[in-house]
Amino acid sequence: MATPPVPELLKTHLTKLAESDERLDGRGRFEGRDVIVETGVLARAEGSARVQMGDTIVLAGVKFQIMTPYPDRPTSGGFMTSAEVRPVCGVHWEAGPPSPEAIELGRVVDRGIRESGCIDMEDLCILPGEKAWQVILDVFALSDDGNLFDAFATAAMAALRTAIIPGERFDVGEDRPLPVSKTPMMCSYHRVGGRFVYDALRREEIGGGERIHITLGDDNHVHSLQKGLKGAFTAAEFDEIMEHARSRCAELRDLVNN
Amino acid sequence: MGGYSDVQMIDENGIRVDGRTAGEIRPVSINAGIIPVADGSAEVIWGTNHVIAAVYGPMEAHPRKIQKQDRAVLDVRYNMAPFSTTDRIRPGFNRRSREISKVTAEALESVVLTELYPRSKIRVEIEVITAEAGTRCAGITAASVALADAGIPMTDMVISVASGKINGVVVCDLNKEEDNYGEADLPMGVCANSGELVFLQMDGDLSPEEFQIAWDYNMEAIAPVHEMMIDALKRSNGGDE
Amino acid sequence: MSDQNARGGRDGRGTRLVTPGASLGASEGRRIGHGVVENEGQLIAVKLGALIENEEEVSVIPSHTRYTPRPGDLVIGVVEAVQSNLWFLDINAPFNALLPMSLGPGKAEFGGARNVLNVGNTVLCRIQEVDETHSSVVTMKGLGLRRIDSGIVEAIPPHLMQSLFSDSNVLKSLKSSTDCRIILADNGRMWVDGDSKSMSNVISKLEQIRAMSRDFSSLESMVEILQTEVY
Repeated sequence: MATPPVPELLKTHLTKLAESDERLDGRGRFEGRDVIVETGVLARAEGSARVQMGDTIVLAGVKFQIMTPYPDRPTSGGFMTSAEVRPVCGVHWEAGPPSPEAIELGRVVDRGIRESGCIDMEDLCILPGEKAWQVILDVFALSDDGNLFDAFATAAMAALRTAIIPGERFDVGEDRPLPVSKTPMMCSYHRVGGRFVYDALRREEIGGGERIHITLGDDNHVHSLQKGLKGAFTAAEFDEIMEHARSRCAELRDLVNN
Repeated sequence: MGGYSDVQMIDENGIRVDGRTAGEIRPVSINAGIIPVADGSAEVIWGTNHVIAAVYGPMEAHPRKIQKQDRAVLDVRYNMAPFSTTDRIRPGFNRRSREISKVTAEALESVVLTELYPRSKIRVEIEVITAEAGTRCAGITAASVALADAGIPMTDMVISVASGKINGVVVCDLNKEEDNYGEADLPMGVCANSGELVFLQMDGDLSPEEFQIAWDYNMEAIAPVHEMMIDALKRSNGGDE
Repeated sequence: MSDQNARGGRDGRGTRLVTPGASLGASEGRRIGHGVVENEGQLIAVKLGALIENEEEVSVIPSHTRYTPRPGDLVIGVVEAVQSNLWFLDINAPFNALLPMSLGPGKAEFGGARNVLNVGNTVLCRIQEVDETHSSVVTMKGLGLRRIDSGIVEAIPPHLMQSLFSDSNVLKSLKSSTDCRIILADNGRMWVDGDSKSMSNVISKLEQIRAMSRDFSSLESMVEILQTEVY
């Protein structure tokens, strides 16, 4: 990702706004942008979703392949996530092999879903030791105005929850919905003007500091955490955002499940 | 090309599998300004094809070795999203995408007034979200709309259509099913107003007579698609004509 | 081809939107303005935008454009890189502008350029010269030209500058209605300073303008937004 210098004025202004607990676009500190979720948007994917949060737009597509189970888990299927942040989604994303930022995005989204156990890997087994389904989740950014993490994670769950295992096409039984038992959701926080805010805009990301990503399961169990970028935070700060994450993840979960 | 096959793709009345006549194109819809953070953008939905184009720039060309001292370069990237086809596409380098990017750039450079922006580049990002058949044509068409939407000066807009042959019959704009049994493919990129060609490829087998029919089908499809491009730009740019 | 030259009246109604390649009729006796070229006796639009035809000339006001520097333009730049005797400034144009030490805000010892202006600093400067490849040299020698240390810089679509602010009262009432200090630069940037509530007012007005910037029929509403008192 190209990183032009951060204008000092932007940082100063963000700090000034923080003093009166304001944000660039008038939102409250923990107020998210409206989230619009659409499913079934990709004709060639077995499950798909489009998520829009302000000017941030992403797609998620689920595909299936037949794999040979790993020798140590002969009755298990597979799950893989790949994040495509191509230069189509913003002038600051450049062409070439996946950047460390894009790889981090894919891996953090992957961990939250994988560790929640929302996909029953045993259920993906077709023939023990020989054949199993591999679920491949591709998240794809169309327009980046900040917080691709949450957009990706939300689109990913919406796509998985509507995915159909294409048994007929692969001649291994009937088509059936991919069983997804839980809906892990991610909430991301950026340090902007000294304090953490939820669902940062791109300009807040540019002028801000470190970020924290929290993925919570249905029962508020923690499934993945990630701290990114330079900076240090206190336990008290973390408690505060975790408390917000619990209520916000529940809201997002309702949105995706319905 | 799938080559000759005895699978019947056209009935005795000349009607194709999806109900079209020989010279008819698939349903098309075009929208501009769909990517808020881009300088210009467009989507072309052509049958089941869904192709998105974004334009950024002009900006300084990097690395310096790609700079042209007397004009801008069009930095075109055609790419198929992993979920765009029935069998997932692995992301990464791909010779087909490179070739399509190259011929697309050359087609568009023929109409963009690149000499106004020496040493710059104009980024054109073409992403195939859903592929049916004819994605390169839809990509060129989408890129034309996105360039206009970005305010890039150009003498004309390019519309691209392909015709081909199935069961020995020349037809316009093959869909996926027809393409699997296609015996020829003739994609062309035509300037809407001047009628000049800026993009041309062909593979397969066409007699001189068949070639002429395929050529004419493509030419006839230009004007209606051009109207849709103009309409898309007007809708997203407050035209009230 | 300077987009800032493309004059448009404030009245957006009845404008005809043209697309690149559109034929505009015979060229004989008509002067070619912005966004128009002549080919074999015919005028052709080369940009998407509103067609302006009057006795003097035929031109197109683009509905989106990048800033193209012209000598004399007042611009707001951000320092992108520092070398021993010059600075590189992002001025919202395709190319960075050069600010040589001799035209900078102050003298520095060799190697001390960074102490005068550092990466990330914002400056108000003027375009001194532009070469044929649009590379430009800027100067900070002149009345009011300086480093800016407070406030914020907001984007404003370059193609709207002329249409929105040709009447100087628009900027005046924006300043008075929001109680902000404002400098409108030619490169699609506006400097805004005041207390944080006043600044937020201006920022939200500009946000609205950017959202409708491509729609010529809403020029009047844009002017109205800029002039409306905020309570």
